[in-house]
Amino acid sequence: MLRPSDKRKPTIFAYILRRFAILILSLLIAAVVLFVLLRLLPGDPANALLSVGADQQQIEAAREQVGSNLPLWEQFLRFVGNLARFDLGTSFVSGKPVVEEIAARLTVTVPLALLGFALAIAIAVPLGILSAVKANRWYGAAISTVSQLGIAIPVFWVGILLVTVFAVNLRLFPSGGYPRRGWQNEGQVLYALALPVLTIGLVMAASLIRYIRSATQDVLGSDYLRTARALGASFSQALIRHGIRNGAVPIVSILGIELATTLLGAVVVERVFALPGLGSMLLLAIEQRDYPNVQGVLFISTLLVLLIGFAADLFQRLIDPRLRERATGAAT
Amino acid sequence: MTSLDLSTDRPARRHSLSLSIGLALVGLNVVVAILTLFWTPYDPLNASGGRLEAPSWLHWVGTDRLGRDYLTQIMIGARTALIVGTGAVAIGASIGVTLGILAAFATRLLDDVMAATLDILIAFPTLLLAMLVVAASDSASLWSAILALGLAISAIVARLTRILAKRVLRQDYIIASRTSGTSWLGVVAWHVLPNIWPTLSVNFALQFGLAVIAEASLSYLGLGAPPPNASWGRLLQEAQGTVYTAPVGSIAPGIALVALVIGMNLFADGLRDVGDPTRRRSR
Amino acid sequence: MTGNTIDLGELSRLSRKGRRSILASAALAMLSTSTAALAQDANFDPDASVVIGSLYEPQNLDNTAGAGQGINEAFNGNVYEALFTLTDAGDVTPGLVAEQTISEDGLTYTFKLRPNVTFHSGDPLTAQDVKHSIERVVAPDSKSSRKKSLATISGIETPDDQTVVVKLSARSISLPYNLSYVWIVNDAAKDLNAGEDGTGPYRLDEWRRGSSLALSRNDKYWGTAPTNGEVVFQYFTDATALNNALLTGAVDVITSVQSPDSIAQFKDNPDFTVTAGQSTTKELLAFNDRVEPFNNVKVRKAIARAIDDKKLLQSIWGEYGTLIGSFVPPTDPWYVDLTGVDAYDVESAKALLKEAGFADGFSFKLDTPNYDPHPIVAQFLQSELAKVGIKVEINVITANEWYTKVYKAHDFQATLQEHVNHRDIVFYGNPDFYWGYNNPDVVDLIKESEAAANTDAQTAKLTEANRIIAEDAASNWLYLYPQIVVSSSAVTGYPVNGLNSQFFAYNIKKSGN
Repeated sequence: MLRPSDKRKPTIFAYILRRFAILILSLLIAAVVLFVLLRLLPGDPANALLSVGADQQQIEAAREQVGSNLPLWEQFLRFVGNLARFDLGTSFVSGKPVVEEIAARLTVTVPLALLGFALAIAIAVPLGILSAVKANRWYGAAISTVSQLGIAIPVFWVGILLVTVFAVNLRLFPSGGYPRRGWQNEGQVLYALALPVLTIGLVMAASLIRYIRSATQDVLGSDYLRTARALGASFSQALIRHGIRNGAVPIVSILGIELATTLLGAVVVERVFALPGLGSMLLLAIEQRDYPNVQGVLFISTLLVLLIGFAADLFQRLIDPRLRERATGAAT
Repeated sequence: MTSLDLSTDRPARRHSLSLSIGLALVGLNVVVAILTLFWTPYDPLNASGGRLEAPSWLHWVGTDRLGRDYLTQIMIGARTALIVGTGAVAIGASIGVTLGILAAFATRLLDDVMAATLDILIAFPTLLLAMLVVAASDSASLWSAILALGLAISAIVARLTRILAKRVLRQDYIIASRTSGTSWLGVVAWHVLPNIWPTLSVNFALQFGLAVIAEASLSYLGLGAPPPNASWGRLLQEAQGTVYTAPVGSIAPGIALVALVIGMNLFADGLRDVGDPTRRRSR
Repeated sequence: MTGNTIDLGELSRLSRKGRRSILASAALAMLSTSTAALAQDANFDPDASVVIGSLYEPQNLDNTAGAGQGINEAFNGNVYEALFTLTDAGDVTPGLVAEQTISEDGLTYTFKLRPNVTFHSGDPLTAQDVKHSIERVVAPDSKSSRKKSLATISGIETPDDQTVVVKLSARSISLPYNLSYVWIVNDAAKDLNAGEDGTGPYRLDEWRRGSSLALSRNDKYWGTAPTNGEVVFQYFTDATALNNALLTGAVDVITSVQSPDSIAQFKDNPDFTVTAGQSTTKELLAFNDRVEPFNNVKVRKAIARAIDDKKLLQSIWGEYGTLIGSFVPPTDPWYVDLTGVDAYDVESAKALLKEAGFADGFSFKLDTPNYDPHPIVAQFLQSELAKVGIKVEINVITANEWYTKVYKAHDFQATLQEHVNHRDIVFYGNPDFYWGYNNPDVVDLIKESEAAANTDAQTAKLTEANRIIAEDAASNWLYLYPQIVVSSSAVTGYPVNGLNSQFFAYNIKKSGN
């Protein structure tokens, strides 16, 4: 017979297993959906290789080269077969392995998203808490108003405005582009990413402020905080000791979604700043009907998103005792 | 599950303010949009002005590269934005609510699968999903953009609906009413929908704003509403090359867009505060 | 892989955005020399790194393996050389050929190769390499579009390592010109998509997809050494981002500027040099001449008269660009001023429409590629044609769909496209081309022009063809793009015409600071 305290470990493990199984299943579903969706796209990927002047013979040859002359089921079998070996194929257009290019692009997109995300948290957490705690002061209201404004502005517009001010007029940062040697020169990369990161950070902070403000308000109105204060803790002591842990719970799941969104939603920002990231790869691949590249990017994106969701969920369960118990209950 | 009520809470004394500012901004947009059906300062095809004229009494916001009146374009853009927002939310709501309710009633396994699928769809940013759908449609059109955004919204709505509906279904009186023989459709119509509606409608208003922004981003990427539908996103994109010679073109449509989205968000905030007596009381 | 590929060649291609490649006349004689070119020659840095900003990233590294524009820009003359070189001034000059002899009947060309030329791998250039390189393009299983222009080649012989004999089945006056597109590659090179093995003044250093392509100086180059140490092509997808990059010093030169508004920022600024070159890029309203109502010459002429090309050009390009009355730019020898044919005249347009039985106008669908400047041109046509009662329904499509629907299936009424090709009037001699213009006289004239014994005869034939297509309003030629290169004033010696998308980098000088 197990005592309750012993019981918790295996069940959390079971929960992880179950989540993991769902993860794999989701990935498979995603792969199938991607394949079908892409085959619905009109246009022949072979066109990407052709030009004005090509004759019928050349068109057929191009179709053969990219495999778009094969029956759909055969294309699908090839796709799934390769996927099982984690081979995402080779680009129709460049002839290079998709995995290789994705890996190169991730060195741009991942730092961009993570830095933007970190900046957003650095801005949003203090401002969000401040605006909740000091809601009645002018700056509390001002923060809410500015964040209200921030979520209403399209990210590309923010990017364009930042370029106009900081790159073109003040010459503080480059307007776009990415150093050729990449991370071999960290300084240059950080310099190149400064404005894109600022763009993402500002826009994301605007929406995060709302969540953090709301979570803080919930904490402020909660019984345990009142109890703590009644027991003699100062306001800030109570807030720090009880508020952060409790308030963080809903925020973590929001953060998970936001991080995933940023990672994939970097498309627009990458376009504004001419960055060779995953988003611009996808955009180009869609235009060229480069199926292996589109599939590859979407598949990897889905994987990343699922992993982030998985991590956020797990983390949430670890910090929240109530949820931990619920997870235990659900899994038994 | 954590609270999906992604709300900001406002002090009670500002409730009416949010609602009224929101209503005013959205209302202005609606009035302008309807007005364009009957009257615009110039015919939208009238290219009689000079190239990139600065604002003047003849052209309040100047002219574009072809010499067309900018104000006219922006006003028509208001109509496009309304169509995009309303269309996308309508599609998203009808699909999303249906799916969400079905999921809420579904058996354990099916519910899990649906929840997982919805999670994937939600995790996929609206924009990527929209890009794919737009790219998949035969030729770019306003409707493919709307459909795309609607589908993206439907995933979010479905998830929210599922959670809300399950919460309602757990209530004792529902269980009682079901055991007493009310059909599940009846339960949905009489209990579930009225209960979840306030929260859903707030979410619809927020999604409206997001759809308008997403359409602008699609247009910026060259995947949005094609001409001749003047859309603010496309106006911004077209004006990008002339930002130094004619900056007004890069600013005016953006302001119009931000005003509508803020209006819709404030409206949502106000709606929530008014529609949620518990929250109002707690302040 | 190389055997199974497609060459895009001299023909305009649909790059990922279906953008233009710049092709110019081989006969371009007079060019404005960049005044700044003389300025800073004295103190340039021989090891400078020159950053070239471009919108045309290569899709792959083998110009016979697919899309060519970007790779031609980066590699032609820089990494790979050809038997002949099309100079930026438009002359065809010997490249790897030291000496050429043409037989009396014009059917046998004997080329002596330059001695002591080596590939980057160290192998010497031999006649075998040349034979291999040409055969790559003309072999029976080749899908190269160049194959067509080199179709008259009936055999290639290599009597010794330094001599190549090319035999033709019919006279081909453009042979040297056409050979200027054929990269001479090492016949031992395996996969040209993975690397390169050319004879040019630069080697490929690194290609970072989506961002940049770097070339470094080949210190063993047989010819004059480059005046810089390294060239980096930095790629952008957005013209505004590209302009900003020049403005902020991230790039040294932009290969071709796409809007007049950005020029304003550079024009009166001593830090930048703006150079106007010669363009051959034409913006075209192409009708499907096979289908109602555009199979009616009167309708086509009426539309030509209903559109104020001058206002359009002014809207798109401000004070830049040139009006054209047919498909031939002023730099071609067979150019004649045909802007007077079907000049802007709304009243006569209406009259013609009435004669054609469309007194009340009609409506048609205009397939419009989704990238600049086509959407804005489409909107202009919409307002112009509304004045004569013609309703234009704008249908925006991607470059890929354009290719499927318009180019391959001929499933369209009218479309917009830019045609960048040099000497592309020959397209009007092909009744199967997408616009379906079929006039037996023009077909014959164009065939005869290629078999002409001398350039005068060629010019006479093509001039005649040019007049006929203008009178037939075969398409509606809206305007000729300007070709504008902008650079930082620290940089000189770059090509200003960018002919055939080429961008020779070896003469670029960058002043040391």
